Amino acid sequence: MLECALHMTDDVSVIQKDDNSPESLLRIYEVGYHIIPTVKEEDIEGVVASIRTVIEKAGGSFIAEGAPVLMKLSYAMTAREGDKNVQYDRGYFGWIKFESSVEASETLNEALKADRTILRHIIFRTVREETRARMKIPTLREVRRTDVIKPAPHHVEDTSIAVSEVDLDKAIETLTTD
Amino acid sequence: MANILTQNDIQHVDYKDVDLLKQFINPHGRMVSRKRGGLTAKQQRAVEAAVKRARFMGLLPYVQK
Repeated sequence: MLECALHMTDDVSVIQKDDNSPESLLRIYEVGYHIIPTVKEEDIEGVVASIRTVIEKAGGSFIAEGAPVLMKLSYAMTAREGDKNVQYDRGYFGWIKFESSVEASETLNEALKADRTILRHIIFRTVREETRARMKIPTLREVRRTDVIKPAPHHVEDTSIAVSEVDLDKAIETLTTD
Repeated sequence: MANILTQNDIQHVDYKDVDLLKQFINPHGRMVSRKRGGLTAKQQRAVEAAVKRARFMGLLPYVQK
């Protein structure tokens, strides 16, 4: 009985310890970012590495990652460069899914805000599982821009048969007599 | 007729799936109503959050002329 009670108290303490341990406060986050298009192609890796370093230093671990790809934005975004505003209509879009504490995500947010090469970023809570849809979205029709639509060749079959004038006259006569 | 999310067993809506999200916005860039989109309330909330994230990140427009 005493042993059982001890076990019970042990269990409770274990649960309480779990709730307060830093491991239990780890959450899954995803960061999406746009790097300004003026950054050279070879320097992109360095910018991503700096983001990864911030996460790693704060005790985060990586789950998945999408490499930055240059894409056209739906609207122009303004970034402060020196003492003037510059508008960009393109950006290198990349994302990282990671597991970390709340504090680490806040640290990353501050680091990205201060980074001048980051045009815009977003950090939000997500789930560990893959969230991308694996389906192909149905489209009405697929026409490649390079394709040239050629009109179908118009076949006219030559059905005319040589008819003699005598036969023609006879046919007309039969028609008129009727 | 089940909606596109139910048909394909999509549990989570990702803001990066622009082609999927475009199924739920009209030519002006506004979200279609739940009645028209045929989504459940839970799905509509998930799509709404994803569309807003995609707009903020410039993947979808706020308004389209």
